[in-house]
Amino acid sequence: MTDIAGLLRRALLLAFGLVLACLGWLVQAQTIELRDAAATVTVQGQTTQQRVSLPYHWDRQHPGLAGTATFELPFILQEVPTELYALYLPRLGNVYEVWLNGALIQHNGDLQHGNGLDFAKAPRLIEISPDLLSTRNLLRIHIRTDVGRSGGLAPLTLGPDKLIYPVFLRAYLWRSMGALIIVVGSLLIGLVALTLWATQVDMSWPGQPQRDPLYLFAGVAELCWMVSVSDFITESPLLSWPWWGMVPVVMTSVWTCGVILFSVEVLGWSRRLLTAWLRRWLGFLVLACVAGAIASFAYGHPILLTIVYGFSGLTFAIVVVLAVHKAMVSGAVAHRMLALVLLLNTVVGCYDLYVMQLSSAYEDSTYLRYFSMLFGLTLFYIVITRFRAVSSQARDLSVNLAMRVAQKEQELAQAYQRMELLAREQERTGERTRILRDMHDGVGAHISTAIRQLESGRASSGEVLHTLRDSLDQLKLSIDAMNLPAGDITSLLANLRYRLEPRLKASDIELCWDVDLLEPLARLDDKAMRHLQFMVFEALSNAMQHAQARTLRIELHGTSKGGAQLLVVDDGCGFDPAQVKRRGLSSLGERAKAIDARLRITSAPGRTEVEIVLD
Amino acid sequence: MWRVLVVEDDPQMREFFSSSVSRCAELQLAASVGTVAQARAWLDANASTLDVLLTDLGLPDGSGLDIIGHAAQLNPACESLVISMFGDEANVLASIEAGALGYIHKDSTPGDIAQTILAMRAGASPISPMIARRVLMKYRADQSHKENKPAAPVAHAQVAMNNIASDDARKNEPGSLLSPREQDVLGLIARGFSYAEIARLQNLTVHTIQTHIKNLYAKLSVHSKSEAVFEATRMGLLKPND
Repeated sequence: MTDIAGLLRRALLLAFGLVLACLGWLVQAQTIELRDAAATVTVQGQTTQQRVSLPYHWDRQHPGLAGTATFELPFILQEVPTELYALYLPRLGNVYEVWLNGALIQHNGDLQHGNGLDFAKAPRLIEISPDLLSTRNLLRIHIRTDVGRSGGLAPLTLGPDKLIYPVFLRAYLWRSMGALIIVVGSLLIGLVALTLWATQVDMSWPGQPQRDPLYLFAGVAELCWMVSVSDFITESPLLSWPWWGMVPVVMTSVWTCGVILFSVEVLGWSRRLLTAWLRRWLGFLVLACVAGAIASFAYGHPILLTIVYGFSGLTFAIVVVLAVHKAMVSGAVAHRMLALVLLLNTVVGCYDLYVMQLSSAYEDSTYLRYFSMLFGLTLFYIVITRFRAVSSQARDLSVNLAMRVAQKEQELAQAYQRMELLAREQERTGERTRILRDMHDGVGAHISTAIRQLESGRASSGEVLHTLRDSLDQLKLSIDAMNLPAGDITSLLANLRYRLEPRLKASDIELCWDVDLLEPLARLDDKAMRHLQFMVFEALSNAMQHAQARTLRIELHGTSKGGAQLLVVDDGCGFDPAQVKRRGLSSLGERAKAIDARLRITSAPGRTEVEIVLD
Repeated sequence: MWRVLVVEDDPQMREFFSSSVSRCAELQLAASVGTVAQARAWLDANASTLDVLLTDLGLPDGSGLDIIGHAAQLNPACESLVISMFGDEANVLASIEAGALGYIHKDSTPGDIAQTILAMRAGASPISPMIARRVLMKYRADQSHKENKPAAPVAHAQVAMNNIASDDARKNEPGSLLSPREQDVLGLIARGFSYAEIARLQNLTVHTIQTHIKNLYAKLSVHSKSEAVFEATRMGLLKPND
């Protein structure tokens, strides 16, 4: 459809140009088209003279041969013009000289040596000063052509510059600028595709990281196309002719194969068995194309290249048919787009083939180069669709992740709450255990002792009273222990003294207090403090009850290791620690072990020492 | 002869404390009651004649702390002692802040009870090492609290505190709760030294130390009120200069 529209547009433009030209003719002088020429052609040393009607398409007239030609085109002007004139030469070359009335008005290249520069690419405009013109004029054009290089001469147009210039400009834009734009566009698309191929690596597969061949095929095809199209505007090629002639041919072949492979990837046939064979076949076609190009350009045997072209076209056509079928079946936008682009390119390619090989037109441009850009468009559509899918996936993933994080946080908070409850429960249990043990060891033991004392009837009321007082003291100490700062031995001793003060007073023992202010010992927890309190209480009780001492000395000093040394000394009657098995004394050892303290008891008449060292 | 009111809900205990007071020649039992209501009613009628209030804390219709406050309001010269089973930190601190000058254990001997009352009238105030330590800690916490506060609220609190202090405590120095000497004494008490030992170490008389402690008790009671004022001011219940 689009090619028909394009043709229509061209026709409209032409019509418009014609209208302009007609207007120009009405107002000023008419433009003259020069078609008839007297040609002197020299091929392989033989010179012939003949009248020809332009265009003179050298490759059609002398296939596989190089040569020179001189065209003489006389023309008559009704009156000598006064304004600037111009000569428009749509195509001539490969090298040429243009003479008007015996004056050289333009030349490009060396007429003596062939296979060098090629000037048969761009349209030419030669401005002609009115001085050079008279009513009877002769235009003489010398050309030298190379084998298979599209040399020759197209019909010329002469007229006032202001009428001729727009015609030239349009042809120039279409042929030279258009090709340049395609070269730049193809380069960009190719580089982007290759960058995508290099960077979009799928690491999710085991072993080798996977790259998408779709990008590679597209990239290679576009770059080859760039080289191929650049030939349309390259007047000074990198290689000499005919070697350079092979480059666009091979590049076009690679482009064809790349486009086919790209299409196969897009259509999702990359893993089919047939595709593996197709790849081999395409590789073979490229090699055959190289061979065909060499045979054609270097040795003048175009038959192989023609066969390769035929097979390439056939392969392309089959792929197009399959692609159209697939697009109709699947209905996917990318498939439809690709099928449409393939179809368009096929139609345009056929048209170009007709123009280049069959039509008599020599100066006409080809259109495939423009329509091939649509493959790049397809690639971009695919890339954009993929990126949209990936970013939408990423969004879903991040939302999902956020939800899961929130869920985990909630779970964690619940677990923490449970743990906190558990810890509190444990704390309560620990406290309960401590209180129970205190009650068991302290109040309970004392009350049961008091009961036994009363039941036996042997104990004096003083003894029972003592037991009960002991019990209450223990209870008070037990309550105090709840408020004692952990590890603060100074406070512990001070409190003990305060609690036992009435008893000390009653027992008439003089107390020597030598207690330093120590930093709390970090390693003593509540439980350990309670043990220590019991130990000191026991040591003091012993001294007060059994020692018949007169003075009692309590010392607390820091040790060099940052610990504490606690000393209870009395000057009582003493005892043999090994012999005496008082309940309190044995519990002293147990408690010392429990809090990892060193306990030393030495006793002799007049001096009993209980030392507790906490390191 | 000091007139003593005994408030104790347990009849046996009440009888024990009443007789302990009666037995002492220098003390006179003014009355013995068993509830907050009875104590209030008695105080409303006879507060001006009372010298010493001896009260249990846990009473059937309320707390002994209320009676202490009521008595102090009606007769500031009346001094209060709390009857405590264990003399434990929480109860003792609450009593001191309510205005009590000390406490008597339930297991004290009758002689001890009379002795403690007389000593208090003579200017002595017993304080346990744990209470001393707690007061020091509280003081230090208050100091740092004040230092960290912005100027304006401190100024408001200061005004409120000074107003109360000048009205109620008379001797309170503005701006500092504890003098350095009081801090030293408290520190030594916290380390378990007796008043006599402290007097020796600090070159003071035991009486001076007792006075320090008694002043301290008054300050603590005032301080607890000023804290309430400070809190009230902060919460906007009172205007800064009310």
